[in-house]
Amino acid sequence: MLSSGKMNRIYDSVEPRVMDNDMLKLAVGEQGPQEEAGQLAKQEGILFKDVLSLQLDFQNILRIDNLWQFENLKKLQLDNNIIERIEGLENLTQLVWLDLSFNNITVIEGLDTLVNLEDLSLFNNRISKIDSLDALVKLQVLSLGNNQIDDMMNIVYLRQFKCLRTLSLSGNPITQAEDYRMFIYAHLPDLVYLDFRRISEHVKELAELKYQYSIDELKHREHLREVQLEEEQAQRAKLEEYKMAFVEHLNSSFLFDSMYAEDVEGSKLSCLPTVGELLKAYKEKFVIICLNIFEYGLKQQEKRKLELDTFNECVQEAIKENQEQGKLRIAKFEEKHLLNLSAIREEPELLIIEKKIVECSEDISELFNVLMTLEMQLVEQLEEAINMFERNITDMVGMFIENIQSLMAQCRDLENHHHEKLLEISISTLEKILKGEPDEELPDDVRALFVDKDTIVNAVGASHDIHLLKIDNREDELVTRINSWCTHLVDKIHKDEVMRNRKRVKEINQYIDHMQSELDNLECGDVD
Amino acid sequence: MEVLKEKVEEEEAAEREEAAERAERVEKMRPAEVRKEETTLTQEMLRDLEKQLLEIQIPTPTEPPIVTEDTIDTSNLPLSYKTNTLKEEHLLQVADNFSRQYSHLCPDRLPLFLHPLNECEVPKFVSTTIRPTLMPYPDLYNWDGCANFVSDFLTRVPLLDPLKPPLHLYSSTTVLKHQKGNCFDFSTLLCSMLLGAGYDAYCVNGYGSQALCNMDLSREVCPLTVKPKETVKKKEKAQPKKYTIKPPRDLTSRFEQEQEIKKQEEAKAQEEKWRWEEEERLLEAEKAKPDLLHGLRVHCWVLVLSGKREVPESFFIDPFTGRSYSTQDDHFLGIESLWNHRNYWINMQDCWNSCKDLVFDLGDPVRWEYMLLGTEKPHLSLTEEEDEGMNIDDDIEDLGKENEDKSFDMPSSWVEQIKISPEAFETRCPNGKKVLHYRRTQLEKWAPYLNSTGLVCRLTTYEDLECTKILEIKEWYQNREDMLELKHINNSTGLRTDYFRPGHPQALRVHSYKSMQPENDRVMEFYETARVDGLIKREETPRTMTEYYQGRPDFLSYRHINFGPRFKKLTLTSTESTPRPMVKITERFSRNPAKPADEDVAERVFLISEERIQLRYHCRDDYITASKREFLQRSEVDSKGNKIIMTSDMCISFEVEPMEHTKKLLYQYETMMHLKKEEKLSKHQAWESELEVLKILKLREEEEKAHTLNISIYDTKRNEKSKEYREAMERVMQEEHLRQVETQLDYLAPFLAQLPPGEKLTRTQAVHLKDECLSDFKQRLIDKANLIQARFEKENQELQKKQQWYQENQVTLTPEDEDLYLSYCSQAMFRIRILEQRLNRHKELAPLKYLALEEKLYKDPRLAEFLRVA
Repeated sequence: MLSSGKMNRIYDSVEPRVMDNDMLKLAVGEQGPQEEAGQLAKQEGILFKDVLSLQLDFQNILRIDNLWQFENLKKLQLDNNIIERIEGLENLTQLVWLDLSFNNITVIEGLDTLVNLEDLSLFNNRISKIDSLDALVKLQVLSLGNNQIDDMMNIVYLRQFKCLRTLSLSGNPITQAEDYRMFIYAHLPDLVYLDFRRISEHVKELAELKYQYSIDELKHREHLREVQLEEEQAQRAKLEEYKMAFVEHLNSSFLFDSMYAEDVEGSKLSCLPTVGELLKAYKEKFVIICLNIFEYGLKQQEKRKLELDTFNECVQEAIKENQEQGKLRIAKFEEKHLLNLSAIREEPELLIIEKKIVECSEDISELFNVLMTLEMQLVEQLEEAINMFERNITDMVGMFIENIQSLMAQCRDLENHHHEKLLEISISTLEKILKGEPDEELPDDVRALFVDKDTIVNAVGASHDIHLLKIDNREDELVTRINSWCTHLVDKIHKDEVMRNRKRVKEINQYIDHMQSELDNLECGDVD
Repeated sequence: MEVLKEKVEEEEAAEREEAAERAERVEKMRPAEVRKEETTLTQEMLRDLEKQLLEIQIPTPTEPPIVTEDTIDTSNLPLSYKTNTLKEEHLLQVADNFSRQYSHLCPDRLPLFLHPLNECEVPKFVSTTIRPTLMPYPDLYNWDGCANFVSDFLTRVPLLDPLKPPLHLYSSTTVLKHQKGNCFDFSTLLCSMLLGAGYDAYCVNGYGSQALCNMDLSREVCPLTVKPKETVKKKEKAQPKKYTIKPPRDLTSRFEQEQEIKKQEEAKAQEEKWRWEEEERLLEAEKAKPDLLHGLRVHCWVLVLSGKREVPESFFIDPFTGRSYSTQDDHFLGIESLWNHRNYWINMQDCWNSCKDLVFDLGDPVRWEYMLLGTEKPHLSLTEEEDEGMNIDDDIEDLGKENEDKSFDMPSSWVEQIKISPEAFETRCPNGKKVLHYRRTQLEKWAPYLNSTGLVCRLTTYEDLECTKILEIKEWYQNREDMLELKHINNSTGLRTDYFRPGHPQALRVHSYKSMQPENDRVMEFYETARVDGLIKREETPRTMTEYYQGRPDFLSYRHINFGPRFKKLTLTSTESTPRPMVKITERFSRNPAKPADEDVAERVFLISEERIQLRYHCRDDYITASKREFLQRSEVDSKGNKIIMTSDMCISFEVEPMEHTKKLLYQYETMMHLKKEEKLSKHQAWESELEVLKILKLREEEEKAHTLNISIYDTKRNEKSKEYREAMERVMQEEHLRQVETQLDYLAPFLAQLPPGEKLTRTQAVHLKDECLSDFKQRLIDKANLIQARFEKENQELQKKQQWYQENQVTLTPEDEDLYLSYCSQAMFRIRILEQRLNRHKELAPLKYLALEEKLYKDPRLAEFLRVA
C-alpha cells in the first residue's frame, strides 16, 4: 500500500484518496508494537485513542478526516500528500509534533485548539502569510521554507512566541531582501537557529544595533499594550470582587446618575433656580450613603469569606484525619492478610486451610465494619458541622440584608425630602410664572411644564417615582442575589458531602469485594 | 627630693587620720560582730578545732618539686623584678600601715596577704603583680576560653602549707615559662587575662573545700558526658476552630479508667521509691569522707562581677578547673580579701554560712574595707546612700581627703607583658598532654599533631567508681586526612561508631559496626549531597541490606534486599567474589507530583525466587485504598506448543478507579517487560552496593593503617613541602639579588673619579671618558687573553718536561711512580684542554663584550646626551 502510494506520485497519476477507517487501521497496525507485543495487539486490536504517533505520508490524501478518535495523539505526520486545507485536527489537543510539509496548503488555519504543539512543519506549501498561530504558545520549531511569504511584517508577528528557537524560511521570496537575516536576528532575539544554521551572538548584537530604533518603538508599543491589558484585567477583577460582595457600582455616583438617566422631567426641573444647589447637596448625601453601603458590603463579604474558609479548613482536616485512620487500618489489615495468605498457600492440610480461609474472610468483614463505622462517624460529625455553618451563614446573610435595607431606607428618605423641596420650589415657581413675574428665562420645554398645578405636580411626582423605582430595583437585586448565593452555597456543600460519602462507600465496597474475590479464587485454586 | 618627702609625709599624715577614722568606724561595727559570735560560737569552736588539728601532723601528699629559687634563673629578669621603685616602696609602707591597723582591729583574723616575695625575693604588693593583658588569640577573648586555657596550660602545685597563703607570689611571666604554679599563680594569671579582656575580675583569697583545693574532680560529672537537655517542644494544642468536628462519643466506663489510672500510679510510685532508695544508697557510697580541715584550706580563685562585658550575674571561676560556679556554691567557704590591679579590699562580712550571704558591693565600706582611697568603685547602691544621709559631714571630709589622696593611686605593674607564643598556645598543656579524672570518667587531652594518629582527646567512661571496668571510650581526632572526627567504642555491646566530617572520599558520615568483616551488622551514613546517588544510609545485617535515599530524580527512597544463603559449590571455590543470591528486593518511591497517583508506583517488590513482581501504587488524595498489581512471570507453553506470551491471569490487579487501557493485555505486557528490565537494573545496583561496601571497608582499613594527617598550607612550621618551597624561593631570591648587585657595578666610576667632583661633564670630557673606558676594557680583555695564554703555555711546558723526564727514567720507575705520572698526565691534559677551551671562548666573546660595553656607554644617562650629539 505504501509503495503503491509512492508509485502514484512518481507517475503523476494523482488519484486523491480518502482517509477512511481502513487506511487508518492499516497504518496503526503497521506502526504499532512489533513481535510478541504485536501479536497481543493483533489479538486485542488497538483503539485509536491509545495511539500516540501516526504516520500517513505519501498517501495522496486530499482531505484530513476521521482523525477525531485519536485523542491522545502526540505526533502526526501528513507530509507528501495533496492536502489543501488544514482541517479536522480540532480534537487532537495533545499533539506536540505536526508535519504538514509538501502539501498544497495556502492558508494557515484550523490550529486554534492545538495548544500543546511544539513543532510545526509547513515546508513546501503555498502559504503567503504567517497567521492564525496565536494559540500555539509552546511553539519551538517552525518550518515554513519553500512557501510564498514575501512580507517582512510576518516576522514581527512571530515575536509573540516566547519559546520559538528554530525558524526556517529559506526558499521564500522574503529571503531575497538584502537585510532579511539581520531583520530576523533583530526582531526575534531568542531565536537560536535560522534556516538550519546557528546564529552567532556577535551577529545578533550587530543586528540589534542596526535595528535598535525600530525595535525600541516596537517594544514600547508592546509594553503599552501589555500595561493596558493588565489594567483592564485588574479592573475586571475588582469589579468581580465587588460583584461577589453584591455592592458593585456603589462606590461612586453610579446609582444616583442612573436615577436621573431616564428621568426626563427631573433633568428639566433641574434648570429651575436653586434646584441646582439642592440637587448637588442631595447628590452628595446620597453618594455618602452609597459609599457606606459599599464599605459595609465589602466588610461583610470578608467576614463571609473568612467563615467559609474556616469551615472548609475544618472539614478538610476532619476528612484528612479520617482518611489517615482508614489507611492505617487497611495497612494493618494487609500486613496480616498477606501473612495469612502465604500461610494458606503453604499449608498442606485441607481442614486447616478451610479454617484459615474462614478466619480470613472474618478479618475482611471486620475490616469492612471498621471502615464503614469510621465513615459513618465522619458523616455524622460533618453533618453537624455543616448544619452549624448553614445556620451561621444564613444569619449572617439575614443581618446583612437587614442593614442594607435600613441604609436603602435612608436613601429613600433623602429622595422623599428632596422631592418635597423640589415640589415646593416648583410650586413657588409656578406661582411666580402665573403671576407673570418670571425670575429668569426658562427653556421652552421646561416652561411647558408650568402650565398648571396638576401638570407640575405630576411631573415632579413622575421623577420621584422613577427615582424610587431605581432604588427599589437596586435593593431587590442585591437581596435576591445574596439569597441565591447563600442557597447555592449550602446546596453545594450538602451535595459535595453526599458525593464524598458515596465515593468513599463505593471505594470501601470495591476494596472489600476485591479482597473477598481474591480469597475465593485462592479457595477455588486449592480445591482444584 | 625635699618636695617628695614632704608630700610623702603629708600623705602619711592623711593616712593616719584616715586610719583613725576607720578605726572608729570599725569600733562602731565591732559590737555587732561580737554579738554574732556569741550567738553562733561556731568560730570559736572552729578555732579550737584548728588548734587541736595543728598539733596533728598532716600527712602532706608527696609533692612534686615546687618551683624554687634555684630552678628560676633570676639573672635575666628585668630590673623591675629585682628592685622596688620609690612609689612601690611607698605603697609597701602604706600596706604595712594598713596591715598593722587591721591586725590591731581584728586580732582574731589571719594576717593579710598583701606583699608576698617575688622570684627575686623582693616584696611586691599583690595588686601590682596583676598585669592586665589582652591576648592576641580570639579564643581568649571570653572568660571561658581564658579559664580553660589557664587550667590546661598550667600544672597545679599544691600550697606548701594548705592552711596559709604562700610566702611567694611569682610573676605571671615566670609562671607561664615554667607552666606550673599554685592557686595564687593560677588566679593572678587568669585575672590579668580577664581584666585585659575587659571583665570586672578580682583575685580572691579565701577558703575552699578539699575537692576544690586539691583539684579533685572525681566527684564531679565530666562536662563532656553531660548531654544537653533536650528542650521538650510543647506541641501547641491547636485552638479548636469554630467548625472543628466533635470527637465521637466515648462509651467506655469512666470508673474503670480511673481504677486503671490509680493502679498505674501506685506501681509508678513504688518504682519511684525503689529508684530513689537505690540512688540514695549510691550517693551514700560516693560521699567523701568528712574533711578534718574543712573551712580552713586556703584557696585562691577569681571573682567576676556583673556589669562589664554583659555579664548578667557575678560568678566565681576556679582557676584549676576553669569552671564557673555561682557565688552561692558550696565549695567556697569564705573570703578573706580580694584585689585587682587597682585596689585591695578586705571582707568585713561574716562567713559563717560560706559565701552564700556575701554581698559583692565593693563600694560599701561597711562590708568591704578598702586599702586605697580614690579608686573608682562607686558601687554603693542608691538606697543605702540615702540611709546614710547623716554622714554628710563625713562625706565632705572624705571629699577633701579624696582630693589629696587622688595623687596616690596604685603603681603600674612590675610584671613584664604576658606573652604566649603561638606554639605554646597550640600545645596548650604542659608537654601537650593532660589527664583529668572525673566521676567514673577519665579525660585525656593532647595537643594537635602530638599523636601520629591525630588523637586529641579521649574520654573513658567507667562502670564503677574505682575506674576499673570500662564502659565506653570516645576518642576525638583532628586534622586527619580521612576526616575522622570521633570514634565511639561501646565496650558492653562491642559496637564501634566512627563519625566523619564532610570531605571523606566516599562521603561517609557515620560508620557503626562490630567487625570490619563484610556481610555483618553495620550501618553507614553518608553526606547525601556529596553523593551522586543521594544515598543517606545503608544498614546491613548478615542477610539483608537496606538503603535509604533522598533527592533522587527517580524518587527512589528506600531499597531493601534479602539475600539467600550462598550455594555451597561456589563458596568452596571463591568466597568473596561470588555475590550472594538475592531473594527479594523491595523498593519504595516517594510521590512524583508529575504523575497521577494511579500510575505512580509507591512500592515494588521483586520476589526473585518466586518469579513474581508486586506493585503498589500511591494513594490518591481523597482515597484510602491504593491500586495494586501483581505479575507472575512464568513462561508456559499452551496445549499447541506455542509459547504463551501473556494471559490475563498473569497479572492480578486491583484498581481503585478501574481504567480501560490498563485492562488490555498489551499494556500489561509492556509493563511487565519494563519491570523485568527494572529488575535486572535493581539487581545490578544491589550488587554494586555490595561492591561499594567492600570498597569502603578496604579504604577504611587502609586509612586506619596509614592515618595520615592533613597539614594546612598556612601552617608554615609543619608543612614540609611548603617549607622547602619557601626556602628554595628564598634562596632564589638571594641569588637574584647577588646577581643584580653584580650587574650594577658601575664601569664608569673609576674614570669619573678622576674628574673633579661636582662639575658638569663637557662633551670632550665625555668622549674622552668613553674612549678611556673602552680602551681600558679592551686592555683588560687582552690581558685576560694573555693570562690564559700564559697559563696554557706554562702547563704545556710542564707537561713536556714531565714527559721528557718520564722517557728518560722510564726503565727505573717503580709501578707506583708510573701510576703517579700517568695520573698527573691525565690531569695536566685535562687542564690544558680546559685552558684551550677557555681561550677560544674568550676570543669568541671578547669582541661581543666590547661591543656590548660600547652600546651600554652610549646609553648611559651620564654620557648619553654628549655622545648622541657626537
